[in-house]
Amino acid sequence: MTFKVPKAPLARRTFLRGAIGGTTIALAIPTLEAMIPRKAHAAGLADPIFGLFYWANGLPWHDLHGAEQVGHPDLWTPATQGPDYATSELLAPLAAHKVSVATGLEPKTEVPPDPPGQSDGHMRGFMVALTGDRIRPEGFDHPSHTLTALRPSLDQYVAKHDDFYGKSPARFRSLEIGISPARFHDYGHWNAISYNGPDSLNPATMDPAQLYAKLFNVPGDLVALGRRAKLLDAVRDDAQSLRVRLGAGDRARLDEHLSHLDEIQRRLQLTSGTCDQVPAAPADSGDLMEKTGIMGELLAAALSCDLTRVFSFMLTSPATTHVFANVGVPDGMHKVCHDGSWDYVKVVTTYQMQCLARLLDIFQATVDPMGNSLMDRALVYGVSEYGEGFKHSTKEMPVILAGGCGGALNRGVHTREVDGNLCKVHVTVLRALGITCPSYGFNGAETTEAVSGMLA
Amino acid sequence: MRWGPTSLHAAPGALRTRAGALGLTLGLTLGGCYSGAQPESGDASAGDTEATTGSGSASGSTGSASASAGSASAGESESEGDTDDAPPAFEPGSPVFPRLTESQYRNAITGLFPGPLPRPPLEPDTNPYLFYSIGAASTVVSESGVENYEEAANAIAEAVFADPARRDALLGCVPEAVADACVDGFLAAFGRRAYRRPLTEEERARWLGIASSLADGDPYIGVKMAVMGILQSPHFLYRVELGEADPEAPGRRRFTSYEMAGRLSFLIWNSGPDDELLDAAAADELLSELGITAQVQRMLDDPRARIAIQDFFAQFLDLGRLSGVDRDPLRYPLYHPALPEIMRTEVELLVDDLVYRQGGDIRELFTTRSTFVNSDLAALYGVDAPGATPITFVPVELPSDGPRAGLLTLGAFLTMNAHATETSPTLRGKYVRERVLCETVPPPPPGVNTDIPDDDGEAHTLRERLEKHRSDPLCAGCHASIDPPGFLFEHFDSVGNYRLLDNGYPIDASGDLDGSALSGARDLAERLKDDKRVGNCIVTQLYRHAESRLNEPQELPGLKAIQASFAESGYRFRDLILILATSEAYRTVAEEVDP
Repeated sequence: MTFKVPKAPLARRTFLRGAIGGTTIALAIPTLEAMIPRKAHAAGLADPIFGLFYWANGLPWHDLHGAEQVGHPDLWTPATQGPDYATSELLAPLAAHKVSVATGLEPKTEVPPDPPGQSDGHMRGFMVALTGDRIRPEGFDHPSHTLTALRPSLDQYVAKHDDFYGKSPARFRSLEIGISPARFHDYGHWNAISYNGPDSLNPATMDPAQLYAKLFNVPGDLVALGRRAKLLDAVRDDAQSLRVRLGAGDRARLDEHLSHLDEIQRRLQLTSGTCDQVPAAPADSGDLMEKTGIMGELLAAALSCDLTRVFSFMLTSPATTHVFANVGVPDGMHKVCHDGSWDYVKVVTTYQMQCLARLLDIFQATVDPMGNSLMDRALVYGVSEYGEGFKHSTKEMPVILAGGCGGALNRGVHTREVDGNLCKVHVTVLRALGITCPSYGFNGAETTEAVSGMLA
Repeated sequence: MRWGPTSLHAAPGALRTRAGALGLTLGLTLGGCYSGAQPESGDASAGDTEATTGSGSASGSTGSASASAGSASAGESESEGDTDDAPPAFEPGSPVFPRLTESQYRNAITGLFPGPLPRPPLEPDTNPYLFYSIGAASTVVSESGVENYEEAANAIAEAVFADPARRDALLGCVPEAVADACVDGFLAAFGRRAYRRPLTEEERARWLGIASSLADGDPYIGVKMAVMGILQSPHFLYRVELGEADPEAPGRRRFTSYEMAGRLSFLIWNSGPDDELLDAAAADELLSELGITAQVQRMLDDPRARIAIQDFFAQFLDLGRLSGVDRDPLRYPLYHPALPEIMRTEVELLVDDLVYRQGGDIRELFTTRSTFVNSDLAALYGVDAPGATPITFVPVELPSDGPRAGLLTLGAFLTMNAHATETSPTLRGKYVRERVLCETVPPPPPGVNTDIPDDDGEAHTLRERLEKHRSDPLCAGCHASIDPPGFLFEHFDSVGNYRLLDNGYPIDASGDLDGSALSGARDLAERLKDDKRVGNCIVTQLYRHAESRLNEPQELPGLKAIQASFAESGYRFRDLILILATSEAYRTVAEEVDP
């Protein structure tokens, strides 16, 4: 393993904003190297976009996932590394988009012995992939599958970071979109991948009509909207007598509720920030590929109108029970994994990559008047909950980084680091987006390094 | 362990510590599960050792202790941890602060505004430990959930005020000026219904102020804005039930009369209180057993109670999982996409019949040969059902010499606890353990082999293949307690159709429960008839549903008292509601920790 000098934390966008003289930002004393942006966003390119793409149940397992998983070829890891790697069978659907991939990474969080079961790769895997931290030990209950996060998922960390939106957030700081409604349990982290903190989830919108209404049905009566905005001050005041009577835990829940009023109030007061070109009302579909297309078109319209710059896209939820009958898999995905039906898992993984490709196709086809596509601006972090679902191994986590991120991300790179720290991905994402990031990862997963070769 | 009168209230960290200690007992229910030991014999008297008393609070009210040790076992049974011979005294459980569930919100809105209303989207509920109320008490609403509230309040108020007749009926007077006496009187009355208590002077002034400041010269716009604000207030959106010092029991807290009105109405109607209930609270009648009894009897006779009770059973029996069922009609010719919903309806009708028409022992749910079928279910069960159509359910008596009796032989249970291509004795056995008997089954240890071997020429049927799987000692402990009852259902395939063969080989539906040998599902139904765990489990689950959290260890004596009264009543469910509503456990509350 080579030792790398950590990249200094100063962010490019911070630097650029400072240069324009817009916002004053307190900086740690930066090194000279850190002051020099690696590469400014290409001239004329709008601000970067961050997206989280999630698919369930990992990869078809292979020898490197563990002793019990031997006997199957690795169809995921490209045979060559570096730029212009030769694609692999499972990544082939994404080849046209020149996605970058990091392989060999795994969660590094410490696992407390009590309560038992926190080592379950399933829950540990998606928690580290999304938050960079472990499951919250307090309240963890393996028998009932009750778990919660300790901190925000990466999409929310970005959406609420001052380095990202600064003083002018988009209409929506983030959108949460879901495709398959199949779920392992009806509660908590089994049906959402976007978190604000413990027991605070952002459930995905699954209904295209509901997403459409949220994005494009903005009432035009500004006077009435102004009244609604003012009213929220009274709602906030009305809660004060209550909050002082509550215990600390419930008061924190109420305070988070009240803090959401700020964003809603801001939105009600916006006189701009709506789309000039509103797309047609969407259809719905039970077919994952078709629905990815429908939701993807709405998302692309929202992104190109700057209604948001952050999204999460949950194709399937953790441990999904979705039945991929359309590709010949007769049983729910979760069962298929545990049954050890490798061939089915391969078919389903290929299909899920095709769905991601469909989303990226739409981004590629969405081009602004300067000729730049959403793919040029976007950084889409694609990840699943563990390496594979047969034994819940967290070895060889699948990681995709798609898009150019305004020139900050190298496209078409494969970096392999066996037993590497998964949180290097978080560092890579944050630095590419221009967010100050001296290190990321928690409770044993801390790292100051980005995935090598990824940042431009 | 004994809960002295001050042990709870003294130290802010008390709950946290208790929950933490109980966390260590997690997974003990099926004693020595992983080591292959057999569970304790489940004779009837062992049934009330409260295999799953639960512990800790599933609510966020205890902060880091939330949802902890939910399935802690037997940790507080009388025989354990108490060197004293005297039984531990009851101490009240922690206060919770649940948001209204989606159905409670919609029902409360319907109560406030009679007539048709728009149905704006709301954040979906979650059901940790089976119950939406527990999700509502332990989670934080998201930004888009709060935005849903804002938009719903707007849409509802706009709809009501757009119709002058409806608006006038709501107000009951005609305002002559912005924020005049008519408006003030209306807001006081409306506020009482929405907040489930009279507004304070400050609140009344606040909303009257809004009716003035946001009126833009139009009194109706002002009132509409005040209504919109009240609908977004946490006093409406959350159930505020924090109690007051009980003058008759120093050191104790009890729910106020108004808080009791809210508790009773959300328990029995899944909605806010009506004026009569609020009037009873105003007269302070809901502090006495007599006053509560009168209201409970009245409320149970209301149609809203029937729907709410069905809703409780749907959660307790985990029927929501039916919505995730998908089967290939080529593999199961009797299946079509509406069938899971039909199966759910059957259970709802059966529950309603047992509670409201028969009024007898609710445990018959697990043993009765009476049920309700439409034409699909008649075909599935092979019974004559004159009058049944795809949309008409008729009562039928399942044949006395047939394979079916009780919930555990009906489509809903059999289908949702099976896979798309094969049955699952494991899921079915787990359901019997967890849902019917309130025991805890740990999941497979991390990394364990879950691969059920294929038909290798020796193990042909799923049962044989599972038995092979159980030869792994790591798996044997738990599977030995869940598979044997699960095998009893092997005559029913993944949509509940009766079958004689599995994979072309004869079915063996013998099994056992806690060591007593049984043959087939009806044998199990007979065995469950006098198993105390069944009735106790119903009480435990209703209690969790009612309290919006898991029951806590110090409440156990109170819970046991309810279980005993329920048994004395002959397990009549309506009686159970009354027993619960008048119980000490339901009417008292601990002080907020760390306020």
